[in-house]
Amino acid sequence: MDPPPRRLAAPLLLLLLLLAAAFAAARAWKKDEFRNCNQTPFCKRARTRAPHSLEAPLSLAAGSLTVAPDGSISAELSHPSRPRPLVLRLSALPPHALRLQIDEDYSTATPPHRRFHVPDVLVPDLEARTLHLPEPKTAAGVSTVALSSDLDVVVKHDPFELTVRRAGSGDPVLSFNSHGLFDFEPMRESKPEDETWEEHFRSHTDKRPRGPQSITFDVSFYGADFVYGLPEHGSTSLALLPTRGPGVEESEPYRLFNLDVFEYLHESPFGLYGSIPFMIGHGDRASSGFFWLNAAEMQIDVLAPGWDGATAQENGQIDTLWMAEAGVVDAFFFVGSEPKDVIKQYISVTGTPSMPQQFATAYHQCRWNYRDEADVDGVDAGFDEHDIPYDVLWLDIEHTDGKRYFTWDRSAFPNPEEMQRKIADKGRKMVTIVDPHIKRDSSFHLHQEATDKGYYVKDANGNDFDGWCWPGSSSYPDMLNPEIREWWADKFSYENYKGSTPTLYIWNDMNEPSVFNGPEVTMPRDAMHYGDAEHRELHNAYGYYFHMATADGLLKRGEGKDRPFVLSRAFFAGSQRYGAVWTGDNSADWDHLKSSIPMVLTLGLTGLPFSGADVGGFFGNPEPDLLVRWYQVGAFYPFFRGHAHHDTKRREPWLFGERRTAIIREAIHMRYSLLPYFYTLFREASVNGIPVMRPLWLEFPDDKETYNNGEAFMVGPSLLAQGIYEEGQKSVSVYLPGKESWYDLRNGSPYKGSVTHKLQVLEDSIPSFQRAGTIVPRKDRFRRSSTQMVNDPYTLVIALNSSGAAEGELYVDDGKSYDYQQGAFIHRRFVFADNKLTSFNIAPDNLGKKFASDCVIERIIVLGLRSGAKKAIIEPGNQEVEIESGPISLRSGSSPVAPTIRRPNVRIADSWTIRIA
Amino acid sequence: MRLLLVGALLLCAAAAVESKPPLDTLGIPPQDEAYYRGGVIKCRDGSGRFSQDQLNDDFCDCPDGTDEPGTSACPEAKFYCKNAGHTPVTIFSSRVNDGICDCCDGSDEYDSNVTCKNTCWEAGKAAREKLKKKVATYKNGVVIRKQEVERAKEAFAKDESELAKLKGEEKILQGLVDKLKEQKKLIEKAEEEERLKKEKEEKRIKEEAEKQAAVEKGAPDASWDVDSKETQDHVQEDENKVAEQHDGHATDHDNHVTESGASVEQHGSVSKDGISAEAGTVDELPQKESAASTLEKDLSSDNPEGLSREELGRMVASRWTGESVNEVSKDDKKGHKDEQEIPEPAEEALEDEIEIPEPAEESYGGYHSEVEDDRHKYEDEEFDHESEDEYVDDHDDHVESYRSDDNQKADHHSDLTEPGHASWLDKIQQTVQNVFQKFNFFKTPVDLSEASRVRKEYDDASSKLSKIQSKISSLAEKLKHDFGKDKEFYSFYDQCFETKEGKYTYKVCAYKKATQAEGHSSTNLGRWDKFEESYRVMHFSNGDKCWNGPDRSLKVRLRCGLSNELNDVDEPSRCEYVAVLSTPAVCVEDKLKELQNKLDAMSSKQPGHDEL
Repeated sequence: MDPPPRRLAAPLLLLLLLLAAAFAAARAWKKDEFRNCNQTPFCKRARTRAPHSLEAPLSLAAGSLTVAPDGSISAELSHPSRPRPLVLRLSALPPHALRLQIDEDYSTATPPHRRFHVPDVLVPDLEARTLHLPEPKTAAGVSTVALSSDLDVVVKHDPFELTVRRAGSGDPVLSFNSHGLFDFEPMRESKPEDETWEEHFRSHTDKRPRGPQSITFDVSFYGADFVYGLPEHGSTSLALLPTRGPGVEESEPYRLFNLDVFEYLHESPFGLYGSIPFMIGHGDRASSGFFWLNAAEMQIDVLAPGWDGATAQENGQIDTLWMAEAGVVDAFFFVGSEPKDVIKQYISVTGTPSMPQQFATAYHQCRWNYRDEADVDGVDAGFDEHDIPYDVLWLDIEHTDGKRYFTWDRSAFPNPEEMQRKIADKGRKMVTIVDPHIKRDSSFHLHQEATDKGYYVKDANGNDFDGWCWPGSSSYPDMLNPEIREWWADKFSYENYKGSTPTLYIWNDMNEPSVFNGPEVTMPRDAMHYGDAEHRELHNAYGYYFHMATADGLLKRGEGKDRPFVLSRAFFAGSQRYGAVWTGDNSADWDHLKSSIPMVLTLGLTGLPFSGADVGGFFGNPEPDLLVRWYQVGAFYPFFRGHAHHDTKRREPWLFGERRTAIIREAIHMRYSLLPYFYTLFREASVNGIPVMRPLWLEFPDDKETYNNGEAFMVGPSLLAQGIYEEGQKSVSVYLPGKESWYDLRNGSPYKGSVTHKLQVLEDSIPSFQRAGTIVPRKDRFRRSSTQMVNDPYTLVIALNSSGAAEGELYVDDGKSYDYQQGAFIHRRFVFADNKLTSFNIAPDNLGKKFASDCVIERIIVLGLRSGAKKAIIEPGNQEVEIESGPISLRSGSSPVAPTIRRPNVRIADSWTIRIA
Repeated sequence: MRLLLVGALLLCAAAAVESKPPLDTLGIPPQDEAYYRGGVIKCRDGSGRFSQDQLNDDFCDCPDGTDEPGTSACPEAKFYCKNAGHTPVTIFSSRVNDGICDCCDGSDEYDSNVTCKNTCWEAGKAAREKLKKKVATYKNGVVIRKQEVERAKEAFAKDESELAKLKGEEKILQGLVDKLKEQKKLIEKAEEEERLKKEKEEKRIKEEAEKQAAVEKGAPDASWDVDSKETQDHVQEDENKVAEQHDGHATDHDNHVTESGASVEQHGSVSKDGISAEAGTVDELPQKESAASTLEKDLSSDNPEGLSREELGRMVASRWTGESVNEVSKDDKKGHKDEQEIPEPAEEALEDEIEIPEPAEESYGGYHSEVEDDRHKYEDEEFDHESEDEYVDDHDDHVESYRSDDNQKADHHSDLTEPGHASWLDKIQQTVQNVFQKFNFFKTPVDLSEASRVRKEYDDASSKLSKIQSKISSLAEKLKHDFGKDKEFYSFYDQCFETKEGKYTYKVCAYKKATQAEGHSSTNLGRWDKFEESYRVMHFSNGDKCWNGPDRSLKVRLRCGLSNELNDVDEPSRCEYVAVLSTPAVCVEDKLKELQNKLDAMSSKQPGHDEL
């Protein structure tokens, strides 16, 4: 990982050695600074336990099993050696989800503290949607409950074990505790003399005043070839590879613990900035999901077949072990026939992704730091001079007055409003950074106010927690408290945030939270939050609450009419409701480019469709060829932003010679031309959570070839791209799934499906294809920013399948407000069949508002059309238009490859048909 | 009624013209209008052809944009705005009807929801005013530059002749020094012989006394004396070995180490110089690095208890910022600060190179002291090595030419030196002559006052010689540089340009180095590298290293101005600085002509208007 040694002025060996040591120390990921499982008592304990070896396995008291008035089933779990029983609750959520909750029984005086339930993550109407479960049928220590017409829940009493199975075949789908590893450490009133509750890590002491309270259990996914999910980890593998068992050398479990990791590794199970305890199992026969709502540190083992010593390979079963330091069992079992169903169910529990504004889906330009107004002007002008569109210019921490957020360094930014207005005049936006650490400076009103109101997180002694971050000594608002979130949201009003304007949006960084002098660069676990909660119980959700409060602030600022844009580094289940995330401080190397795809795909699978990696790599200087490749891949990221560390050389797209400038321009242009398609995909995501950027298997769930392909990806249902992840790569193998053909996006050449094609690598693009049978809406006129494209005409690219048919969608709204929620949008389905293209309205008619657009379609390219027709007839109107051969993209030198309907000029808002005569 | 109708028609026509310009010329520069005549027009990239109807029909037929110069339909097309009253420009098709006024005549927004005012007149006027000012600056600048160039030529010639003069003087002086050395040797030899004789005499007397005693006691031992004599001969044959022959001879070493012997010592000291520089760096590095590296060490070990919470915070923060853990504040706005940098080991040597003190004087001054001492004094002098080599090479010639010119005296040297300047040389020569004439080599005993006089003259002359040699080397060093086509940058050699920006003072010394100073601490932004972009940019490179970043560097862009003024220092990338220097040195005539032509062109397109 060390960078090559720098060129030295003097060839002095000693100096060289010293330097090398200094750089090695400065640049490498510091393994020692992070706790591994062996250093984490609850993890070590749970991980070394053999199946079915628990001293006090929990069993269900048959007599306690009842259907509650709300339709859920409750029961008691106990063991004679335990001080008191646990309370179990089972509830059903339509269509195919089961919720299992297990907690202490608080009806007696003990335990002294309530375990933490993560608030404000599940959608508010969840309880209301709970189905009424029928009376369980109990026989021979086994109770069966029909979850739906095709699913049963089977509960074995002693020891307690739960299986979700298909009603007809009896095939299991998911099971809980089938390996007898379920352990639930009871909270205790006081520390026994012979125990030590304190834990030490490096120079830090965790007092752990409440003692051990961890929870462990095993979950099995049946019919799964692979499991996926559990962001965030650096990985070049899309599937979660086994962490323990035969064939696995030394390894850690996947760790979910939000951390600000300096120069993280592209391949490591250690936790990064965000955590989503959601796993999807998939095979050609089944798709299922498991979500554990718990914000404490979690460690998850994916167990290799035979891990438990069983020699007989149960076919297509993957066992997993889940361990958390605190909290309760609040687990969801999702059963899908298709993987998309599993995602939809997860989304139905944690909320639908917010619909971004149009600008947010375009290109963003960032750097730590654009230093002053002249710099901002210069970069803005640079894009125009080189005819490269961009929509958003970002300001990192240096724009503030001494890292006091909501303020400006007035020597560098004397007129922030004027600066934003100038950018806004070109239809562009700006973003400033607002982090959760507040400078402990008595002259800083925000600090004063937070102190006076007692709004800061407290340390173990009850004082305001004081940690070190960018501004130096800092404190952190307790975002768990809704009142404090409310207070925080108000800080974004124009009145409170001086120098902000309506075209300014927000970036939340360091919200893991990052505490430079804290254990593992974060907040001590014994810090105290609202409601007597310890930081350990909610750590992974702190950044989520901060993101939530910031997004609410922008919503309030815009009086509920302007969709917020807030990028966050930390995230948790549900973050999709508040905005975009990115993969944090990656590095400018080829491996990080490669791992960005599995990382972004995983985020998409776990409900966060709006994500991306820093194009170019944050740390270090990318070789120009790497930067170019990164733009070509990044142009397909749902969130597309170039960003760089302040020690790096400038890397605005035009700084690497004319040829490279042209290639980068081409990549960004491609993104802009596909913006109508992307926006339509974001709409889909906002309705049902299906990600914008998708693993191949999400579209081709039966094609095993695709299951662990982390190098190629789908954008929506229609486009497939394959990154180039090696320097100077000459050829690349691309697997194109499915029976239908694929058309090269650059030249329209067809390629057969279900074949791995060995393709020559081109300098000016990465392999990308449109799937036969799809229609992709584009806008092929280029502008300074997406704002100026609003009235531009569309191009439809139709790729016909083997039966001469294709279909696609287009969603358009004002790109900004919430009027779409009242029906102010255009949503069309284009269907091509029998030589006829038809535009159908798929928006409901009866909603209040309408969205008007005079936009027309100027060009329809039909790939795979065999007819030699020269004319097409538009109905209504019986208008004749020409068909001629045209290129697939408008670049100098491209040759005509496909029949193109010239200037049909039909409105996207209307229904019509175009018949090829 | 009829008039009204005509009026209305005209109005309509005018309105039409304003909103929809004629398609056959829309966005086409005048020189290309011919290309678009005719029924069928070719796409420029040869990809196809299009009909007159398809010209500017808002549909892209040629991927290269040939058919849509006036619309936004082809991404690669360019739109020409006439901008009557100002300068015509060609804009990207992406700007056509995008709702933003790009052409001052507003012609790019003929079909959009904005109405653009025609601002060409005002903008043109402002542009012309600006250009006029620039032309005026250039006019004056060109004059100043001419003067500068003249001065530079004179100065250059002067420096060249000074160099030649110095070289001539060096030659003469070398001859004198050689001669004096010869004399000194002879004197010393004579003295030594005298001393030995005396010693012998004393010894003889003593021996005789002892003999007398020995007659009573035993046999004598005379071997020591013979040994000593042999060694001395040896020294004179091969002085290089003298240094090795330290083994306790009674002979006075100092007096026997000759010029070339010193030279050997110097070679030794040069290599030692390298060693000591190394040692110095090693000493220095831990000092500067210690804070960070010890903290790093502490932290990477399992026991960072040594750190306070704050130190730990600073240490972790410094990974991202690359800033010193000792800094009190992270508010450093421009990120200029970088206390953690690795020291430049060669810097001291370089500074010597640049400032060219008179190292020879010091070292020669110390000539008579102990050899050990000399070694120390030579330590820092890189040049001695070189000049000594030269000296050795030229040695024979010098002696020869001196001899042949022996009697010609100062007359000969007047070619080389300007009248009046040669006086000291004359004097020295005169003195030396006198010394030679007076001194009788064969006179015994040696005249002590004469001997000390020779020694003194020798010391004076060699010190003078080394001064001259140092001057020669610094002047030669200067003249090696690139001073531009017309030597217009000659005066930059001895100048530094300064500017204050915030808390920093920037100092740019052309051909030397650039620094950023804050209070007493100074950061090297780079050493002189070269001119770039045909003398438009001065490049300084290999400055102090940035922690976690590149070596600092500075590019100074040169702009025509009436005086030398440094401005606009900036750091667009970490540790890569830029600045602007206004100077008459780049006010070239060609550019003035170009600007003048541009101004004329702009003004001529303003019939009547401009002069109002």
